[in-house]
Amino acid sequence: MKEKGFFVLLIVLLVVACTWAVGTGALHMSPGQIAGMLCARLGIDAGAAFNEQQENVFWIIRLPRVLMAVLIGATLSVSGAAMQGLFRNPLADPGLIGISSSASTTTVLMIVLGGKLFGNYESVFGQYGLNVATFAGALLAIIIVYRISQQQGKTNVGIMLLAGVAVNALAGALTSFITLLASDQQLRSVTFWMMGSLGGANWSNVAGILPFCLGCIIGLPLLAKSLNAFSLGESDAANLGIRTERLKTVVMALCAMGVGASVAVAGIIGFVGLVIPHIIRMIIGPEHRSLLVASALSGASLLVMADLVSRTIAQPVEIPIGIITAMVGGPFFLYLLIREKKRTTII
Amino acid sequence: MLEVDHISYQAQGRTLLNDVSVQVRSGAFTAFMGANGAGKSTLLKIISGEVKAPAGTISWNGKKLGEWDLKELAKVRAILRQQYNMQMPFSSEDIIAMGRYPHFRHKMTSRCKTVIKEVAEYVGVEQFLKRNYLTLSGGEQQRVQLARVLAQVWDATATERLILLDEPVSALDIQYQHQVLALVKELTASGFTIVAVLHDLNLAMQYSDDILMLKKGNKVTFGTKEEALSEAHIYETFGVEAALHQAKGYPHSFITICPVWKRYHGMTASGLQ
Repeated sequence: MKEKGFFVLLIVLLVVACTWAVGTGALHMSPGQIAGMLCARLGIDAGAAFNEQQENVFWIIRLPRVLMAVLIGATLSVSGAAMQGLFRNPLADPGLIGISSSASTTTVLMIVLGGKLFGNYESVFGQYGLNVATFAGALLAIIIVYRISQQQGKTNVGIMLLAGVAVNALAGALTSFITLLASDQQLRSVTFWMMGSLGGANWSNVAGILPFCLGCIIGLPLLAKSLNAFSLGESDAANLGIRTERLKTVVMALCAMGVGASVAVAGIIGFVGLVIPHIIRMIIGPEHRSLLVASALSGASLLVMADLVSRTIAQPVEIPIGIITAMVGGPFFLYLLIREKKRTTII
Repeated sequence: MLEVDHISYQAQGRTLLNDVSVQVRSGAFTAFMGANGAGKSTLLKIISGEVKAPAGTISWNGKKLGEWDLKELAKVRAILRQQYNMQMPFSSEDIIAMGRYPHFRHKMTSRCKTVIKEVAEYVGVEQFLKRNYLTLSGGEQQRVQLARVLAQVWDATATERLILLDEPVSALDIQYQHQVLALVKELTASGFTIVAVLHDLNLAMQYSDDILMLKKGNKVTFGTKEEALSEAHIYETFGVEAALHQAKGYPHSFITICPVWKRYHGMTASGLQ
């Protein structure tokens, strides 16, 4: 089958991307040494020579960072693809209905005012403090948009999109207002974080987002069949025996979880959730069972590579990854739109 | 038998259906007719469960709609709408496969694949199976959707199968209108019960068995097509003068409508001056 080959290719790509990203940087590591370090941890001597410094960089800096890129890339792509299925529109995106910006508002709020409002909140919540805040922000956005768009017990997708526009504007305004209150030191971290960066990756925040991201990456593909039926129309999906209200609730909650967690640790990384599903759909079609899994795999590869570029292109300065994805994703997406417009009248 | 029992429905203070009761025969093609806003589509939506009626009940084969399990109901009842606003480039086969969704959890069974082949052949879309649905013509798209609807109820026992059609041919050109309705008509021979909202009097006369005529939410008449489509009923329902003609050797009469302006001739003439 053609599709099986495609999945094998995607997995190979992901492994190659991860190995390349882990090995590249101020300190070089060969694939053999990487394998050797992994094996050594498992108690197997693979015979590859590596020194202690390499081992430290690998376990403490590079591996958590690459794993975080994998998790966030996969989460953003898979929730983008699922949202597009839910909205029956290939241009929908979690950013579109205000999840990302609302989550980012709560994060900025925590960075700037967290100390004043909650005292030493970091010690209370530990590493999960920010995660909890962004999840709350994302969920709040989704609940507001969802409530507003309810019409006679059903969701009006048009109103939902427009409500998302409003939430985006409001969240943007709030974020700007809060940054006015920030000190210089806070402003730096807010600005850097808002542009999106995986620079803060360590094992504890990888562990912090792991359950949220896995819920998204594993949970959404299980809903693939229902999302396919949903593309016919909501009432038609219901006529096929699908509980559409429950489907909408679950998809939204999973996306809020995943996107909220990603925003908490890495800021807003745009275009991944929009461009990846679009490309995959062009290659293997819109069938969600394949689309969601393929999107997760290739989103992970893309973000790993984007992060590699972000930290190596202007060494020793790190370019925020959000800038990289937008610089590459923006023009590419415009190109896609123009091509799509010529070919069909779908969008 | 599909029983529509004392259905009333109001929306925004307007009565859309007023105490409508009908007993639709199994294995027959029943058409719902009426002017715009007469409530025919609303009644079909109530039967399909998309809209809940505050008063009255619908039962299919003696079981009230609310008592059916959603999945079980999906295996015996399917709905074809006028138009589908698909945005995603699914293949025709993917779309027909959606009709099988109530029949499997995650992996399609071999029975499903057989059914997809059978219905595609029956509807005559087997050559489009691999094609992108969005690139098909309106008539071809509607046949693919019909195949999906058939795939959904294909396994049920003959008399259990109910297909609802909401203006199924309104967006199609004449050739496709007849193609789709002939296909649907043929289904009644194998026991399918068909309920369709139709606009065209002659199409209804040609293809349906029974007709329900509605006006402003009230039942005008319900009976065989010959009884229902009388000049008096057509005038009452649509406010137009009709003439029925019987051609020699033709199985049913056909209907022409007198120009509406004639009725208001005096009024419009003075109004135009």
